[in-house]
Amino acid sequence: MITLSRRQFLRTSGTGLGLGLLAGGGLAGCATAIGPKTGRRVVVIGGGWGGATAAKYVRLADPSIEVILLEPNKEFVSCPFSNLVLSGVKSLESMTFDYSGLRRHGVKIVHQAATAIEPDKKRVRVGDDAIEYDRLVVSPGIDFLWEQVEGLPAAKDTVLHAWKAGPQTVALARQLQSMADGGVVVMSVPPVAYRCPPGPYERACQIAWYLKTSKPRSKLIVLDANKNIVSKTGLFQAAWKAYPNLEYRPANRVEKIDTSTREVTTEIGDKVKYDVINLIPPQRAGAIAVQAGLVGADKRWCEVNHVTYESVKHKGIHVIGDSTIGLPVPKSGTIANAMGKICASAVVHLLNGKEPPQMPPVNVCYSWVSNREAIAVINAYRIAQGKVVMIEQKLTSQTVAVAQNSEGWARSIWNDILG
Amino acid sequence: MTNSIRLLVGCASLILGLALYGGAAAGPLDAPGYAKAFSCSACHGFAGASAADTVPVLAGMPSWYLKKAIQDYASGKRPAAEMESYSKMVLELGVDDVAAYFAGQKKQPTPVKADPAAVARGKAASTQCVVCHGPEGKGDPAKGIPDLTGQPPGYLKNQMLLFKADRRSPGDETLKALKALMRTIPDEAFGDLAAYYSSLR
Repeated sequence: MITLSRRQFLRTSGTGLGLGLLAGGGLAGCATAIGPKTGRRVVVIGGGWGGATAAKYVRLADPSIEVILLEPNKEFVSCPFSNLVLSGVKSLESMTFDYSGLRRHGVKIVHQAATAIEPDKKRVRVGDDAIEYDRLVVSPGIDFLWEQVEGLPAAKDTVLHAWKAGPQTVALARQLQSMADGGVVVMSVPPVAYRCPPGPYERACQIAWYLKTSKPRSKLIVLDANKNIVSKTGLFQAAWKAYPNLEYRPANRVEKIDTSTREVTTEIGDKVKYDVINLIPPQRAGAIAVQAGLVGADKRWCEVNHVTYESVKHKGIHVIGDSTIGLPVPKSGTIANAMGKICASAVVHLLNGKEPPQMPPVNVCYSWVSNREAIAVINAYRIAQGKVVMIEQKLTSQTVAVAQNSEGWARSIWNDILG
Repeated sequence: MTNSIRLLVGCASLILGLALYGGAAAGPLDAPGYAKAFSCSACHGFAGASAADTVPVLAGMPSWYLKKAIQDYASGKRPAAEMESYSKMVLELGVDDVAAYFAGQKKQPTPVKADPAAVARGKAASTQCVVCHGPEGKGDPAKGIPDLTGQPPGYLKNQMLLFKADRRSPGDETLKALKALMRTIPDEAFGDLAAYYSSLR
């Protein structure tokens, strides 16, 4: 399988860079370029796996609808596969793409963050500007509950989570590389619900593989807030047999961090010293969803209609991706992509006065357990009585073939989101 | 009607008929397979144009072949953990609509480039394949023989390995001769045959 660089990827997907610049250059980073609403308009907050997909698919289904995507980052960095940057198996560049493909579909991209939502006025605030919408799609991903770990709010710039792929991923890889052989790496797994259920355990595999290969006297301690491995339990347990350097401690939620003594304290009072720390904090829906009152009584996640993804809290506002709760689906990239397509279709149907079709999402999560082998979980769903219900879940044992499939999946789904 | 035509008709009716607008066609929304195929694009690419080495191209695939594949995956005759679950889902949603949608897409040959030397070796080794799949690799729908051209090499190679090991459609009488042939071919040669058929258009 060819590892794609960004440029190779764009060429393969037939994306014209020149076209992208012409179509969207005038809007990039300049909210005032967005005029008043003249026709039907959909605004999408967040250009990740859910939001970028939704923006593209609204335009595909009905090019007469104006689509404005608000995304502060100039580049899309894939969280899936980013654990492989920590082990040096992949480069971050190979999973980084620009948004020119979406511009080719006529999506207007504003590289700024939404600062507020005004549901009554049907508009989104971007600083001093306001962008009106007919329907709004909110796909803000996750944010962290820093204050749930004592000492973390003050140390959050130096204690890395690397749970949003980007500069922190590269920084954590560098910390691992510069650690002396014999050093101790500590990583924490947050309590459910959090983004990417198998992700922390895949990361443990990648760090353990790297240490085993490059720093054989080092070890990895995994402090899990949960009572057991959250996802693909048996498969990860089998994979970890290859890593005697990995020490797994379930029911050990990290309660406190002290960067001066390089030590974390767990809920049972254990103090664990580290040379490199990767603390993945507890999570909730992205800040804008919380601020706009889209979250439920738990103040963390957004409940939605299972057919249209319209918020149960505000009419005309749809929420997709990791911010949602209540569906029997994981917070995965594949699910966010599926939600993006289904939600876009529902939005276009509703704007055209039609009944949205009842489409279930689909899921596959691949996890690399070494530098060459992967495992997978596969979920198929149906809609029954207006709710998403799982048909079945399948697990695959670790093989090179599954890793090859995962590379194919990545290449195709990145293209589905951005190409 | 192709999707692009449908799209044009949709736009035209929207522009002309806004005043009396009450649910005219909008883009591909009225193609029954369009939304039903949403799930497929995560791995098979938008409109079935797979960019992946081990995931087949569905764009332009004849509906008879896709329907058979879905039924065989769902029943476990064809082994693939991903496709077994998803095929059950497709059967629930309506395989006819999904197959018609992909059959209606313009065929997109794989972007995975084959090594020219492997293509040449594969061509030289293909004399037996030609008997059923034809000199251009297009197959024969009347006999249930699929078109191999433009499919990704990794996918073609994996299928040959599955036939050789009798893991795809075990016990199927119509595939007996094919499997016997596969057993005469060393594993290393499958890459060449796959490269050759993948390179054909």
